[in-house]
Amino acid sequence: MSSSSVSPATQQQQQRRHGSSSPSSFPAIPRRAMSGGGCSVRAIWILTPHDTVAFSRRFAVVEKRWRESWEADEGYGEGEGRGTEAAPTQQPADHEVAAAFAERRRREGTARGSGIRTNVSSVGLDSWVDDPITRHIISLYIKKEEGDGYMLWPVVLQKRGGYYVLVLPLVDPQSFRAYENLLKRSDCGSSAKENGNLSSILLNLPCITGAFMVGHVLGDIITADIAEPEVIVSSGPTVGGLLDSLTGSIGISARAKPIAAPVAAPAALASSPVGSAQSESLKGGVRPFDKDLLRNFIIGAMPFGTPQDLNYANVTSIRATGFSGDPLPTDQKQPAWKPYLYKGRQRILFSSLETISAALYDRDDVSDFLSISGQVTCRAELEGLPDVSLPLAGLKTAHVEVSSFHHCVQASEPTDNKQTLVFQPPLGNFVLMHYQAPCNIAPPVKGFYQLSMVSENEGAFLFKLTLMEGYKSPFIMEFCMITMPFPRRRVASYDGNPSIGTASMTEHSIEWRIVSSGRGLSGRSIEATFPGTVRFLPRTTQRTNSLLRSVSSTAFAEDSDSEQDNVKNGASLDDYIMEKINKDLQAVDLEEPLSWQAYNYAKVSFKITGGTLSGLTIDPKSVINRLKLHFALVNIYPSVKAPAEYSMQASSGDYILWNTLGKCPTAALPREF
Amino acid sequence: MPAEGVSIGVEAPTSGEDASPGMVQNGGQRGSSSTTTTTTTTSGTSSRRGGVERLLPPTTSPPLPSFLGGPGPRPTKQGKETKTRVGRVQPNPISRETLPNSDPPPHLGCSSPAMDRQPPAASLSPQDWEQLLDDFASSSQPPSRRDRWLHLPLLDLAVSSLPRRDLPSHLKPLILSLLDDHLLPPSPASLPAFLASLHAFPPDHPLRDHLLTTVVSAFASALAAPLSQHRDAPPLAALVDTLLAAANRPNHAPDRAARALACDALRTLDAALPGLLADSLGHLYALAAAERSPAAQSYLLLLASAARHAVRLGRLASPASVLAVAGPPTPFSVPAHLLSPPHAASPPAPPSEANVRDVRKVLALLMDRPQVLTPAATMEMAAILAEVASAVLEWAPAVAAHIKVQFGGMVHSSSPMLLHSLLTLFVRFPDAFGAEDERTMVRRLALAAREAHRPLAVRLLALHWLLGSGRFANLVPGLTQWFYPAVFDPLALKAKKLDCLAYVAAGVGGETVSGGRASDQVAGLLDDGLACVSAFRWLPAWSTETGVAFRALHSVLVDAAPHSTDGTRCSGAEDQGLVPVIADFSNRLLACDSHRWAGERLLRTLDECLLPRLEPGYQLASYYPLFEKIAQNETVPQLRLIELLTKQMVSLSKKHGPDTELKLWSQGSKVVSICRVMLKHHHSARVFLPLSRLLVLAIKSFPDLEVRDHARVCLRMLSCVPGKKLRHLMGVGEQPSGVTPSHPGSLFDMPSPRPAQDLKSMPDLASYIHLERVMPLIVKQSWALTLPNFSVQSRPSGSILSIQDVSSAPSEQENPTGPAVKRIGYAQETLRVMDSKGAETLQILRRYFTCIPDYLHSSGLKIRIPCTFRFDSEPFNGAWGSDLPASGDGADELPALYAVTITFSSSAQFGNIPSCHVPFILGEPPGSGMDIVPVDNQNREESSYCASVVIELEPREPSPGLIDVSVAANTENCQVLSGSLQPITVGIEDMFLKASLPPDTPREGVAMYYHDLFQALWEACDSSSNTGRETFPLSGGKGSAAINGTRSVKLMEVTSKVLIGAIERYLASFVVSVAGHSLVTILRGNGVIKNVIWEENVSDASVGADALVPYSPDSNLQLQLIDDDDIGVSAERYGHESKRDMGVVRVMIFLPPRYHLLFLMEVGCASTLVRMRTDHWPCLAYVDEYLEALIS
Repeated sequence: MSSSSVSPATQQQQQRRHGSSSPSSFPAIPRRAMSGGGCSVRAIWILTPHDTVAFSRRFAVVEKRWRESWEADEGYGEGEGRGTEAAPTQQPADHEVAAAFAERRRREGTARGSGIRTNVSSVGLDSWVDDPITRHIISLYIKKEEGDGYMLWPVVLQKRGGYYVLVLPLVDPQSFRAYENLLKRSDCGSSAKENGNLSSILLNLPCITGAFMVGHVLGDIITADIAEPEVIVSSGPTVGGLLDSLTGSIGISARAKPIAAPVAAPAALASSPVGSAQSESLKGGVRPFDKDLLRNFIIGAMPFGTPQDLNYANVTSIRATGFSGDPLPTDQKQPAWKPYLYKGRQRILFSSLETISAALYDRDDVSDFLSISGQVTCRAELEGLPDVSLPLAGLKTAHVEVSSFHHCVQASEPTDNKQTLVFQPPLGNFVLMHYQAPCNIAPPVKGFYQLSMVSENEGAFLFKLTLMEGYKSPFIMEFCMITMPFPRRRVASYDGNPSIGTASMTEHSIEWRIVSSGRGLSGRSIEATFPGTVRFLPRTTQRTNSLLRSVSSTAFAEDSDSEQDNVKNGASLDDYIMEKINKDLQAVDLEEPLSWQAYNYAKVSFKITGGTLSGLTIDPKSVINRLKLHFALVNIYPSVKAPAEYSMQASSGDYILWNTLGKCPTAALPREF
Repeated sequence: MPAEGVSIGVEAPTSGEDASPGMVQNGGQRGSSSTTTTTTTTSGTSSRRGGVERLLPPTTSPPLPSFLGGPGPRPTKQGKETKTRVGRVQPNPISRETLPNSDPPPHLGCSSPAMDRQPPAASLSPQDWEQLLDDFASSSQPPSRRDRWLHLPLLDLAVSSLPRRDLPSHLKPLILSLLDDHLLPPSPASLPAFLASLHAFPPDHPLRDHLLTTVVSAFASALAAPLSQHRDAPPLAALVDTLLAAANRPNHAPDRAARALACDALRTLDAALPGLLADSLGHLYALAAAERSPAAQSYLLLLASAARHAVRLGRLASPASVLAVAGPPTPFSVPAHLLSPPHAASPPAPPSEANVRDVRKVLALLMDRPQVLTPAATMEMAAILAEVASAVLEWAPAVAAHIKVQFGGMVHSSSPMLLHSLLTLFVRFPDAFGAEDERTMVRRLALAAREAHRPLAVRLLALHWLLGSGRFANLVPGLTQWFYPAVFDPLALKAKKLDCLAYVAAGVGGETVSGGRASDQVAGLLDDGLACVSAFRWLPAWSTETGVAFRALHSVLVDAAPHSTDGTRCSGAEDQGLVPVIADFSNRLLACDSHRWAGERLLRTLDECLLPRLEPGYQLASYYPLFEKIAQNETVPQLRLIELLTKQMVSLSKKHGPDTELKLWSQGSKVVSICRVMLKHHHSARVFLPLSRLLVLAIKSFPDLEVRDHARVCLRMLSCVPGKKLRHLMGVGEQPSGVTPSHPGSLFDMPSPRPAQDLKSMPDLASYIHLERVMPLIVKQSWALTLPNFSVQSRPSGSILSIQDVSSAPSEQENPTGPAVKRIGYAQETLRVMDSKGAETLQILRRYFTCIPDYLHSSGLKIRIPCTFRFDSEPFNGAWGSDLPASGDGADELPALYAVTITFSSSAQFGNIPSCHVPFILGEPPGSGMDIVPVDNQNREESSYCASVVIELEPREPSPGLIDVSVAANTENCQVLSGSLQPITVGIEDMFLKASLPPDTPREGVAMYYHDLFQALWEACDSSSNTGRETFPLSGGKGSAAINGTRSVKLMEVTSKVLIGAIERYLASFVVSVAGHSLVTILRGNGVIKNVIWEENVSDASVGADALVPYSPDSNLQLQLIDDDDIGVSAERYGHESKRDMGVVRVMIFLPPRYHLLFLMEVGCASTLVRMRTDHWPCLAYVDEYLEALIS
C-alpha cells in the first residue's frame, strides 16, 4: 500500500533493464530525468536577513511526486554509490530551513557562499564544487535533532531587496545523487571533460532554470519591481502597462523603470565605506512585502507547483478582473500570454533604450572599451490578434553582436544582413528585442582623468573632457555628471574650479555637474576641464574583520618580515600609497566585475535622447538608409491603419574614466585563431 | 460516514473536559463525540503512510511532550498575545464581543486553570484562528508555539470552517494557505469533507479558485494507486466529474480562467494517479482542438499529460484507438488499473498502426502553434512532447522533424526557459537537428552569456549548458572569441568564461600535439583570458580576482593542458603577496591523486623560473611558504633553492644591525626550518654537499645564537644519520607532518621510558659491540706490561706518573728477558771540551730538539690509533628488542644506536685519552661480510654499519699498553645502553713517529736533514759521546731534554728479501738513508721508499763500517751476552755474511714524547744485523719483540 506508485516505478525498471545509463553519464539523457517533465516546485521560502522565514509555500502535490520517485528509486539497485545519509524525502519545517541557511552562511562565509574553492572549503560545502553557479544553486543541509540530517538540493537562491528567495524544484533522485557525489569527491576538482560534471547535471535539469525564473518573478514582487518595461512616447512621458491598456486609457504612468544597470549602482557601492561583504549582512532596512499579493500570484501562476505563466501583470489581472465581456477570436487560438484583447484607438509605439558601458583609459597600450546593451520596447495598441512583421536589415553593418527576442517573436534565421521578425504583440509594454552592439559613433564623453597623490592625504587631479563631439541635432544630452568616488577615504576639502558646471563634495566623493537637467546640451560639443586638488582626512586604520580576509591572508600578512621597505626601487608615491591602502582591501563578491575600491576612477552619468549610440534606429513610416541598421516598413496583418511612434534614448551604465596615472583593469580583446 | 463525522465535529460542543493533560485530549475527544472515529482513522492512516514527518499528525500521536510539560506559563502568554492581536481582530464584531472576556474566551469553557487553557477541539473562534495562523506563521522560533494546536483535528476544523459565515472573510484565504502549507497531505478519509466544502462553495465566490486548488492538491497528494474502491474512488470520481464538467465547455468566454484551472487540476490528478484520464483522451483531444481562448494552453497541456500516461501505460499497443470516445466524459469512473495492485510491467509492445496515427494526430495538435504557450508552459510541453514523440519515433520518424520546425525558432528567444526547453529537445532528437542547427545552438549559448541584460545566473547557466553536452564539445573551440571576458563582466562570469577558455585550450592542446604553435596558442589564450583578472598580481592575496585567476589555472590543469602553464604563472608568482595562494594552490593539486603530477610540475616550474629571479633580502621571507613546498617535494631538485637560501643567509648576516635582531632571528630560523624540511624529505646524499655548506655557513657566521644552534643540530643530523632513520627522527615530534610518533624516542623528547639498565647487568655488551683496531698489531702483545684497568670509571686518566725526573725509570715496568741493555749513567758535567764535529752534532741536536713539544708544559705529541666501531644486529636485537616497525626497507629494519660515546682509560702512561662520539650507527646486517672500509680520517662517508673512531693518545712514555673501553649509547627506543668493551691493545709500533722537522727546512733538504739528524743522534747515543752531558731545550724553552744513549744489536736471520719486504711495509717512512749498491738498486727499484739519501757509491762496507759502525769487541760481546744460546753460530756466521753485505739501511724513529730509536741495519743476503741505539732504554725490551715479529 505504501509503495504505491505503479507506473513510474515500472517505467524506471524498464529503463534500468534496458541499460539506460546513469544520470550523470553522458551524453544520454536518462528518461527518468524527463519523466517529471518541465519544472515543478516543491517549496518556496523567502528568508529575511535575520534568518527567519518571512514567507513559505509548499506544494504537497509535488512533494508527493518527489517522495514517490525516491521510493521507487530506493526499491532496486541497492548500493550503487548512493549517499549514506537519510533519504531526503522529508520536507523541512520553516525553522529548519532558516537554521540550515544560517548555518550555511556561517560555513561558506556569506549567504551566497564563496562560489569558488578556497582554503576554507571542505568536502561537502558548495564551494568545494568550485563553480560560481553554486552561489545561485545551493544545497542546504537540514539537521535533525534525532537521526540523520539530509540535504536539500537544488535550492535556487536569489537575493532581492534584502530578502533571500529560495526555490526548491523537483529533480530526479539520480541528479540529486550526482550532485551529492560532486560535493563529496575528494580530488582537486572536476573538469568539464569528465562525466557527471556539474554542467551536464544542469543541462539535464530544466527545472533549475524554471525555478530560477520563478524566483526572479517572486523577487520582483517582493521588491515591488513589477512595472512593465518602459516605452517612451515623444509626445509625453512614458506610457503605462497592461492595466492601462485594459482600461483603454493612455497617458501618464508613474511607473518608471530604469533600464538595465541603474546609473548609480557602482557609485552607490563605492560610496559605502564597507565592502559588499558587509553590506550583505546589513541588518534591518528590508521593506516588508505584501504576502497576500505573493500568495495570490502563486495561486494564479503555479497553482499546483508547476508554473503556467510567470508574467506578473497577466496573472494578477486575470485573478483580479477575470473575463467578463472579453470576446474570443473566432478563427485562431488566442495566446496564453495575451489573455485580453485591446479595444480602442490603434497605434504602435517603439522605443530604443540603450545603455552604454565604457572603460576609457587614454593610454597607448590599452584600447578603450565601449559596449552598448540595448533593447527595443514596444507597445502595440492593436485590436484583435494581428501579426506584425518587421524585417531587420543591416545587422552586420551595425555590428550587432547578439540579439534575442520576446517569445512572441518568430525570428527567421538571420541571413546575410537580414532578419525578419514576425510577432503577435502582447498587450501592454514588452521588450521586443535585446541586443548588444559596439558604439558606432564617437563616445559622447571622452577625455582623461588624472589623479596623482602628492602626499598620503592630498592629491591633485585634472579632467579634460570633450562632450558630444560629432553629435548633431536631434541628439540632446539631458544631463551629465561626473563622480569621483573615494570609498575608503573621507574627503576633507577640495580646491579648484571647473571650466563649466559646478562641483560639490560629499563625504566620500566629489561630484561635478557639467550639464544639469533642464539645460540640455544640443547641437554642439563642449570642452570641459577641471583641475584641482583634493585633501583627505588622515586614514584611520580600519581593522576589518571580513571572514574571507582573516582566513585567507595566512601568516605572512601578519608577519612583520614582509614589511616593505619604504618607497623602494624608485616606485612612485602613488604606487606606494595604493599598496598601503590595498592592504585592507576586501574581497568583492563574485557578482562584481572588479574590486572597485582598488582603483581610482571617475564615473560619468549622462542621458542622451534623440538618437541611439549604436546607430540603430527605427523609422516605422519610411524606409531610410541613413543609418546602418534600420527597420523596414512595419507590416501589420490584417492591415490596419495605425500610427507608429518611435523614440530613442541612451544613458550611461558603467561609464568609467580610469585614472590615467594609476592602475586600471583591462581585458584582452578576442584574437583570431 | 466521514462527512457525518465532520459535521458532528463542527457541532460538537467545546470540549471542556477536565481530564488530565497528556493522553488526555485524545481520550476526552474519544469519549465526547463521534469525531473520534474520524480522528482515529486519520491517525492510523497517516502513521501508516510512511512516517513522513508532517506538522500535522492530527491527533494521531499522543500530544507532544512539550505540550505536556508547559501548562504553567502558557496561559498568560497566550493571554498577552491575544490582547496584542486585538487591533487586528477588531473589524470582526464577534471578536469585539468576546474581547472583554477574551482571557479566557468564554466559549472555551476552561474550568481548571491548572490545565492548560487549550483551544477547543471542535470549532475555533475567529480569534483562535488568528492566533493559530499567527503561531504557524512564526516560523523562526522552534515550533513550540505550534505544538499546542497539534492535538486538534486541524484539518477537519479548517475544512469545516471554510463555509462558516461567522468567520471574517480575510481569514479564509489564510486558512486555505494554512491547509496548503502545513496540513497536506490529508488522510484519504477526510477527502469527502474537502469535496463537500468545495461543492458547498458558490461557483462565483472569489475564493473558489483557491479552494479548488487546495482540494485538488489534497486529493492528489493523498491518493496513490491502488485506490480503495469503496473509500477513495467515489470522492475521486466525484471530483473528476466536477472538473470535467467545468472543462467541458470550450470557448465559453467568461469562465475561461475557471476552465483553465479545471484543466490544470485534472492534469495534476492525472500526474498523481497515472493514467486516470487515459480513457478520456478522445474527449480531451476534442476539447483542446476546439478551445481558442487563452485557456487553450491548459487544455493542450492536459491533453499532452494524458497522452503521456497513455503511452506509459502501454495503451498504444492495443488495437483499440486511444482517441476512441465511448460516451460523454461525465459521469466519470475511476479506471480499473488504478484500483488493482500494480502488475509486473511487460516490455513495451510496438504500437498499433492506428495508434501511431492517433498519436501523430495528438502531437500535431500539440505542436500546432507552440507560440501561443507561455514560456513556462512551453517548458512543460517540451518535456512531454519529447517523451511521447520518442515512444513513436521509430514508427513515425517525421515527428522529430516536425518538432524541429515548430520549436527551432526558440533559439532566438530571450527567455532562458525556452532556450533550455529547446536544448532538451535538441539533446533528445539529435537526428532531427543537423550540424547547422548545432552550430546555431552553440553560438546562441555562447552569446547568451554575453548578453548584459540577462541575470547573472542565466549567463552562467548558458555556459554550463554549453559545456554540459558532449555534442557541443567539438564546436566549442570555434567560439573562442565569445569566451573572452569583458572588463565589466561580473567576476563569476569571468570565472566561467575562463573555464570555457581552459576547455578550449585543453582541446587545442589535445588535438595538435605536434606543432609548437598549438602551445603558443594555448598560452596566448590563457594570457588573454587572465588579463581580465590581472589585478591579482597587485591586489591582496585574498581578493576575489586572485581566487578567480587561480581557479582558472586549475581548470586548465585538470583539463589536461599542462604545457601552457609556465609563462603566466611565474609572472604572477613574482609578487610576494600571492605566495600563500600559490602554496594553497599547489597543496590542492598535490592532495589529489590524479593531479599530483601537475602540482609537482608547478613546483618544478617555480624552481626553474622563479627562484633565479629572486633577490635575497628581507622581502624574501614572504616566499618561504613556497620554499617549504618546494623543499617538501621529492621530485624537485633542491639545488637552486639551497643556493638562494645560502645567498639569503649571507645577505642577512651582512645586514646585521642592532635593530634587526628580531628579524634576523625570525628569518634565520625560517631558513633553518626549511633546511629541516629538506632534510626530512630528501635523500641526504643528493642535498648533502650544498646543504651542509649552507648549514656550516649559518653555524659560522650567522649572528643569532639560536639559529646557529639549530643549524648545528641540523648539520649534525645531516652528516650523521642517514636516509630514512633521519626522516623518521625528523618526523617525530612534528605534529603537522601527520606521522604519529610510533614511539616516544626522539631527540626532542625526554628520554624516560625505560630505566637505564645497570652497567653490571650488561656483561655481554662486548660480545656484539666491537671496537677494533684497523691495523692489527704486529706484535701480539698479550703480555703487556701494564695491568688492565678493570674499573671503568675509576680514577681520572691522565694522572701522569714518574715524569718528574728525566732519568728515572718507570717504576712499575719490569724488564723482561731481552736484549742486554747497557745503562748509561747520568752525570752532570758543566765543562766540556768539544771538537768541531761534536759541536756540529750538538748544533743539529739543539735545533732539532726545539721542535719537539714539551709535554710537561704544553700538549705533547699525539698518537692516533684508528679503530672501527660496529655492532651486530642480531644479538643486539636479541638483547634489546626491536620495536621498530619493519618497513620492508633494508636499512630500516636494522637496529641503530644513537649518540654513542666511547670513553677510554688506561693505566699506561698514555695521558688523557679523549672520548669519541659516534652520532649514529646501524647494526651490521646479519650474515653480511664485514666490509673492510679503508680508513681515512678525513673521509666521513663511511659505511653506515661501521664507524671509524680514532683513539688519540698523548703518551708520556713510549710503551705498549691496554686501553679500557667503555661505551654509552641510546637505542632507538630510547633506552640507554652502557658498558665496557674489549680493551684495545696499544703496541710499541703505535708509538713510532717520524722525527719532527724544523719549519724552515727546505723541501729538498728534508732527506739530508734526517740523515744528519740520524748521524747526530747516533753519535749522541753512543755511550762514549760527550753529548750525554748536554741538555737540549725543548719547544717553548721551559723544559729540556738530555740524551742518555743505550746501544744494542740484533741479528735477524732472514733473507734480504724478507727483510726488505718487512722494511718496506712497516718501516718505510722511517728510513733515513740507504747505502750499498745492491740494496739501493733494489729499494729504489721498488719505489716504496722515497726521499732518502741513496749512498750508492759506498759499495765497500768498510767505509760504512769504519765511519758508522765501529765494531768493537764490546759490541760483539754484548751480542753474545744477549744471545746466549747460539752465540757461536752467530759469531761464526758473521764473518761470512759481512762479506756478502748488500748495504746498510738507517732507520730513525721518534718515540713520543721525546725519545728516539735508531736502527742501523746491515743487510746481508741471509741475515741482517741490526744495530740499535736509543735514548730511552726501556723501549729496547719491546723493540726486540717487534723486530722478531717483523720478520716472522
